[in-house]
Amino acid sequence: MPPRADTIAARKNSDEARSRSVSDWLRHVTALPGVPGHEYATAPGIEKAYRLYADRVTRDRIGNVYGWIDGTGATPRPRALLAAHMDRIGFLVKRIEAGGFLRITQVGGFDPRTLPGREVVVHGRAPLVAVFGTKPPHLQKRGESDKVIALEDLYLDTGRSEAEVRRLVRIGAMVTLRQRPVDLLGGRLAAPGMDDRAGLVVVIRTLELLRERRPVWDVVGVGTIEEEFGIGFLGARTAAEAVDPRLGIAIDVSHGDMPGTREGDTVPLGGGPSLCIGANIHPKILDGLKATARSLGVPCTFEGCAMQSGTDAMDIQISREGIPTAVIGIPCRYMHTGVETVDPRDVDRSARLLASYLADLPADWSVGERLK
Amino acid sequence: MSAPRFREDLLEALSNAPGVSGGESEVRSIVAQAVRDQVDTLEVDAMGSLVARIAPTSAASAGARANGSGPRGRRGPHVMLCAHMDEVGIMVHGIEKDGRLRIRRVGGIDPRILVGQVFRIGPKGVAGVSGVLPAHLLTKEDEEKVIPYEDLYLDIGAATREEAMKQVAVGEYGVFDTVYEGWGRVRKGKAFDDRIGCAVLASLVQQRPPVPVTAVWSVQEEIGLRGATAAARRVTPDLAIVLEGTAAGDAPGAADEESAPHMGGGPTITIQDRSLMADAKLNGVLTRVAARRKIPTQWKRPGIGGTDAGKIALSGSGVPAAVVSVACRYIHAPAAYLDLRDAQRSVDLVWHALEALRKEWPVS
Repeated sequence: MPPRADTIAARKNSDEARSRSVSDWLRHVTALPGVPGHEYATAPGIEKAYRLYADRVTRDRIGNVYGWIDGTGATPRPRALLAAHMDRIGFLVKRIEAGGFLRITQVGGFDPRTLPGREVVVHGRAPLVAVFGTKPPHLQKRGESDKVIALEDLYLDTGRSEAEVRRLVRIGAMVTLRQRPVDLLGGRLAAPGMDDRAGLVVVIRTLELLRERRPVWDVVGVGTIEEEFGIGFLGARTAAEAVDPRLGIAIDVSHGDMPGTREGDTVPLGGGPSLCIGANIHPKILDGLKATARSLGVPCTFEGCAMQSGTDAMDIQISREGIPTAVIGIPCRYMHTGVETVDPRDVDRSARLLASYLADLPADWSVGERLK
Repeated sequence: MSAPRFREDLLEALSNAPGVSGGESEVRSIVAQAVRDQVDTLEVDAMGSLVARIAPTSAASAGARANGSGPRGRRGPHVMLCAHMDEVGIMVHGIEKDGRLRIRRVGGIDPRILVGQVFRIGPKGVAGVSGVLPAHLLTKEDEEKVIPYEDLYLDIGAATREEAMKQVAVGEYGVFDTVYEGWGRVRKGKAFDDRIGCAVLASLVQQRPPVPVTAVWSVQEEIGLRGATAAARRVTPDLAIVLEGTAAGDAPGAADEESAPHMGGGPTITIQDRSLMADAKLNGVLTRVAARRKIPTQWKRPGIGGTDAGKIALSGSGVPAAVVSVACRYIHAPAAYLDLRDAQRSVDLVWHALEALRKEWPVS
């Protein structure tokens, strides 16, 4: 049986649920903190969202959050796992220096060239605003601005006294980029943390749609931990072990079309979900998703994932006795910067595609064959 | 008479307003609105600088206004107080077929702080992000290279040039998307260089000064001290004090001799920079007044930067000039910090210096 220790009764509040558009959800969910290992800061927001639509909401002992939609089939019902990761890249405070300046280490892969001058929140006893310090051109030596500043040479300034900083901030405190969501033309939205808050919104919206149109299967939306940590997808692995799904789908971001990339290396923003093809993707799920997209008239693109997909699907796939997996990518420009940009339509389309595919899954769907 | 109170509300409005060199009109409107009722005359000069004359207390002011001669030569020296309205920023230089905006910098901005930032463009404040390849797609070589200006672009969400041109135009300015806020004594915002000077100056003219004052909120300082050059010719003051937001040096790792001035250390007085040898006698007045009034002050590290004072000093047959600054961390970057105490102390210092000048400064 899957973990149900922390079961929280689902609250039905359909008015609030319906009033929130995908774009609002993106604004809401990107505002949640939660760097790898600190997903406790993301989890309450996700649980609250799941509770609007799921029949049960649970959290396991390492911090994954589950929203359960009960299927209509006879028990025991097969389960589908939808995984989006709750962690976002960020920093941890490494040292407090004289004057109260903070040195940091990163959790997740930033390009340090995108950091000077940016605002952050230091999650101390209270959230503190800080900026990455910059040296004005007036004080620079000749040629200084030709050199990239390494992460270890960057520092954070809260504007507060050293005594106050020492009182409020501990070594190891989490730091996240601070940026109000930016509305661009065509409804596009830029904010830090779209990787993978956009995926979480796909899961939330999928649960919402499945509540209206019940699947035969049970569907479990999971907010996983520690996808960005890079030493093995701890949350995905444990969630797959716990849920024992018959299929798993990871929802993450894919590189959107950007200047400086070659055609074929990215997928277009506004082009619909990107269906990944490769070793982490089971052809039967892929074919099913393609057919569903066609029948819904949802545009989608395809993306080759040679070797590994770099998503939660990698570890879901090798859990238990092996689980068929697929990956849905939401086109996202400028990944791992403060201006990760998505088209909310792609988020909505991904959810509609998933919900429709899952709702139509027959009870006897399976992969693997008995040859003799 | 005690000095006027520093108007923080004005600093907030001014910091949030866009006003890149050559496009200062929104800032000018805010200042004009704030000082209109306190000054005797208020004009916009040919370049766009805002010039306000205000006669000293007592009957002299009525006379000066009545005969239209301006405040010159009434009581004490005619003092020009000057702060620049413009900020560093960017300009839309071209719009590509795919809807991206090509940009140029306006004023001295380190190209390293423009990457992955958010800008507000043009009068409508259209949002644009400066795109950059994700870390995943970079080569080792890319990572070690500063992205040059000519490779930077803004993404406003437009897919085509036509779509972009409905919202923005070539020649429009862009500013950092930073919101003024504060905690404790610290205030955070964009363009403190020199909106803090603008706010200090607007605060000073809330009361009739002890000497005839011409207040100038100048344009185009960041692209060569240009507005003040023209304004000084028109004002022909006996002396000038420029009000600035200057670079604080109190960063971690700064050598001792490089660390001055400090945020919160009191008004900063310039000895010499790349544009000016500050007038020693005028600096003497400032430091004596500071000592008498127990206002802490600090020296700006010599040889750094330049201000409108350099051009004012060279104006006509020469004008003794000094610079009083608020030390701000991270000027010319998206978000700067200042200490509100430095703002009030700058108002106090200049106000009491004007009182001293009435008594001490020889008028020909």
